[in-house]
Amino acid sequence: MFTTIYPQLIGLCTGTLLLTSALMVWRHSLLASIRLLSVQGFALAALVAVIGLEEGEVEVILVSLLVLLVKGMGLPWVLARETHATTRTDEAPRLNPTAALLTVALLTILSYVVASRVLAGDISISAHAAPIGLAMVLIGFLLLVTRRQAGSQLIGFLVLDNGIATVAFLTSGGVPLFLELGISLDVLLVVVILYVFAGRMRTKFGNTEIDQLRKLHD
Amino acid sequence: MTALEAGLLGQTLLLVVAIAAALLTPTSWRSRVSGFFCTLLAVAGVVTGAIALSGGTGSLSIPTALPMDPLVLSPDRLGGLVMVVVSVVGVLASLFGIGSARVASASRTSWLSMAVFLSGMQLVPAATDVVSFLLFLEIMTLGSTALLLAHHATRGTVASALVWYSAMSQLSFFFVLAGFAMLAGLAGGTGFADLATIDPFTWQASVAFLLLLLGFGGKAELVPLHVWVPRVLPEAPGHVAAAMSGAMVNIGVYGALLVVVRLLPNGPAWWGVLIMVLGGVSALYGILQASVASNLKVLLAYSTTENMGLVFLGLGASVLLRADNAAAAADAALVAALLLMLSHSAFKSTLFLGAGAVARAAGEMNLDRLGGLGSRMPWTAAAFGGAAMGAAALPVTSGFVAEWMLLQALIHGSRVDGEVVSVAASVAMPLAVAVIALTAGLALLTFVKAYGIAFLARPRSRKAALADEVPVIMRIPLVVGALLVVGLGLLPGPLAVAIGSAVGPAFTPDVRTIGLAGLDARGIDAVLDPTTFIVLAGLLLAPVLITLFISARRHPTRTSPLPWAGGGSRLRPRMQYTATSYAEPLVRVFDDVLRPTRDVEVTHVGESRYLVERVHVEQTVSDVVETRLYRPVLNLMQRFGILARRAQNGSIHRYLSYSFVALLSVLIVVSL
Repeated sequence: MFTTIYPQLIGLCTGTLLLTSALMVWRHSLLASIRLLSVQGFALAALVAVIGLEEGEVEVILVSLLVLLVKGMGLPWVLARETHATTRTDEAPRLNPTAALLTVALLTILSYVVASRVLAGDISISAHAAPIGLAMVLIGFLLLVTRRQAGSQLIGFLVLDNGIATVAFLTSGGVPLFLELGISLDVLLVVVILYVFAGRMRTKFGNTEIDQLRKLHD
Repeated sequence: MTALEAGLLGQTLLLVVAIAAALLTPTSWRSRVSGFFCTLLAVAGVVTGAIALSGGTGSLSIPTALPMDPLVLSPDRLGGLVMVVVSVVGVLASLFGIGSARVASASRTSWLSMAVFLSGMQLVPAATDVVSFLLFLEIMTLGSTALLLAHHATRGTVASALVWYSAMSQLSFFFVLAGFAMLAGLAGGTGFADLATIDPFTWQASVAFLLLLLGFGGKAELVPLHVWVPRVLPEAPGHVAAAMSGAMVNIGVYGALLVVVRLLPNGPAWWGVLIMVLGGVSALYGILQASVASNLKVLLAYSTTENMGLVFLGLGASVLLRADNAAAAADAALVAALLLMLSHSAFKSTLFLGAGAVARAAGEMNLDRLGGLGSRMPWTAAAFGGAAMGAAALPVTSGFVAEWMLLQALIHGSRVDGEVVSVAASVAMPLAVAVIALTAGLALLTFVKAYGIAFLARPRSRKAALADEVPVIMRIPLVVGALLVVGLGLLPGPLAVAIGSAVGPAFTPDVRTIGLAGLDARGIDAVLDPTTFIVLAGLLLAPVLITLFISARRHPTRTSPLPWAGGGSRLRPRMQYTATSYAEPLVRVFDDVLRPTRDVEVTHVGESRYLVERVHVEQTVSDVVETRLYRPVLNLMQRFGILARRAQNGSIHRYLSYSFVALLSVLIVVSL
C-alpha cells in the first residue's frame, strides 16, 4: 500500500519545495517570503519522513522531526521576529518578477539536464526527484544575487541550504542524525549572526541595503 | 670530528648564542654584548673558511623535518675562500656596529638580524646541494631585509627602498631557483656533485645558465638588476651597508663561480661573451653614475656595481678564453677576477665604514655640504684615503694588483704563441681593455672627488665644521680595513697562490710567489713584485729625500698670501669646488647616457636684469635603467591594477554574481 503511494508522496513534497521556491522569487514582501519558507520547511520535513517510512529507519524519522523544528518553525520564527521590528519590509529587487520567473524556469531545466548526466545510472524514485534539490540551490543563489535587503538575502541563503539538504536526502536516503544536528545548528548560528548584523546595520544606516557596504574599515 | 666540522658546528652554536644575546640583553648593554657575539660568529667563519681553504675536510649534516635528504654543509676550497672573505668583512662590520649602532639600529631586531644575516652569508659557500644553498641564500636575504628596516620609523624613504630591495632580491632568487631547478631536473638530483655531470652544450644547460647568470648578477648588483642599490645602501646604517656591499655581493660572485667553475665548467664561448657584456656594461654604467653622484653612500653603492662588473668581466674572459683553448690566459683572468673580489671586499667595506663614521660625526652624506673632515677626523680620513686609493686602483693597493692582473690576462689572452685564438676573443679582449681603462680613469676621478671634497679643503657646512672623531672601537675596524687594502696589495704572490689552489682541482692556474711576496703568472709571462719595488725605490730615493729634508731645514719656507687671491686671503668655503661642480665636465661629456635634469632659478635684485641676487641650481641624475626599463613595467602593472579594481568594487552582489556565474558555468560544462 505504502510503496504504491510512495512515488506520489515524494512528488508531492518535492513539488511543494519547488513551488515555494519559485513563489519566493515572485513575492517581494518579506513576510510572505518567511511564510513560504516555513511551508518549505514543513515540506522538507515531510519529505524526510516519507523517506524514513519507506526505509523503515527510526533515525531518519527523528531527523525529520529535527528538520520540522528547525526549518519549519525555528528559523521562520527568528526571521519573523526581526521583520516585525522593522518598518520597511518590501523589496525592490534587481530583476523584475517576469524575468525572475523565466530565470527560475531556465535554472530548473538546467538542473534537470545536469542531473540526467550526473545521476544517469540511478533509476530510484528519490534520485529521480533530485534535480528539484539542485534547482532549489540555484534559485537560492538567484535570490542572493538579486535581492538588496539583508533579510531577503537571508531567505535566499536558507533556500540554498534547503536545496542542499533536499539533494542530500534524496540521493543518499537520509543523513545520520548527528550530521543533520550539526548542520542545523550551523545554519541557526549563521542566521542569528546575520540577524544581529542586520540589526546593527539598521541602527547605523537606517536601512539594510547591502549595496551600501562597499568599503573595508579597520 | 675534524677541525672543519668543529668550525661549522661552532658557527651554528654561535648563531644561537648571538640570537639569544640580542633578545635577552638590556638596551644599555645590547650593542656591546650582541656585537661581541656577532664578531665571534664572524671569527668562527674566518677560522672555518681558512681550514677549508687549506684543504681541511669534513661535513656537518642538519636533519630536517621535510621529506628530503638532510642538509649537508661541507665547504670546498673555493667555498672556504669566499667564507673567509665574507667573514672578515663580518668581523669589521660587527666591531664597527658595537660603536655605531644607536637607538633604532641597536634594537633587538637589528642585532638579531645581523647575526642571522652574517651566518646565512657564511654558510652559503658551505652548501653542497641546491636546497641548502637556496635556504642559506634566502636566510641571508631575509636577514639583510630586516636589518634595513632599522630606520623605517624616522625616515620615510626607507619603506620604498625596502620594497625595491625585497622585489629585486626575490626576483634574483626566482631566477636562481628556476636555474637550479632546471639543472636538477637534467641531472636527476639536487647535489652539486650530480649537477656537475651535466653536459654544458645542451640547450637546457644554456637556459639554466642564463637564469643563474641573471639571478647571481642581481645578487652581485649588476646592471640591470642593480636599481635597488643606490636606494637601499644610503638608507642602511654604516656597518650594515659595509656588510652588504663588501660581503653580500661576493655571494653573487660565488654563485657565478659555482656555475662556471664547479657545475658547468668548459661552457661554450658565447657564455663568456655574455658574461663579459654584462660585466662591461655594469662597470661602465656603475662608475659613470658614481662619478656624478654627490651623496657619498650613493657614490659608493654605484662603485660596487662597477667593481662587480669588472669581476664578471674577468670571469667572462676566463670562460671565453677557456672555450678557445687559451687555458693559461683563462686561468689568469679567473685569478684576476677573484683578486678583484677580494680587494673590493677590503676597500668597499672600509669605505662604507668610513662613510658610516662621517654620517655619525657630521650627520650628513651630501658631499656638497661636507669638507675639512681630514683635520677633525684624522683616523677616519687616513683609513678612508687608503681605501679610496684601493678603489681607484692606485699602486701598492690590492685594487691595483687585481686590475693589473686582469689587464695582463686580457692583453695576453687573444693570442697563444702569436696565433689569434678566435675572432670573438680578438674583438672582445681589446674592447674589454678599453672598458677597464675608461673605468679606471673614471674611478680615479670619482675617488679623488669622494676623498678630496669630503676630507680636504674647508668645511662647507656648520655640521661638518663641528664633526668629531669617532670612538676607538669604530676606529679599529676602519684602520684594520685600510691595512688590509694595502697589505693585500703588498702580498699578491701568496694571495694568487691561495686563489689558484681554491679554483682547483678543475683548473690549475700557473701562478707562484716570487721575490718578496711578489706574483709570477708564468702562463702569461707577467711578474709583479710591489714590495721589492718599494724597497728598491726607497733605497734610490733615500739620498734625494735626505738632501731635500736638510735643505728645507736650512731655508725655512715663507708663508705668502695666495697669489691668485689678488694679494688678500679671502678664501671662503663657498669658493671651493663642490662635488657637483667637480663632476660637471663629466656630466657634460656623458650627457646622452646620464640624461641629467637641470633646474636653474635666478632671482634678480629689484627690477634690474643685470644684478643677480641669487642663483639656485639643481641637478639630478636619474637612473636610466630604472626610468626606461622598470618604470614602463610598473606603469603597466598599475594600469592592470586599476582595471582589476573595476572587477573588485567591493559590492557583495558583484561577488555573489561571480560565484553564481561560476557555478552555472560548471553545471553547463558538466551537462554538455
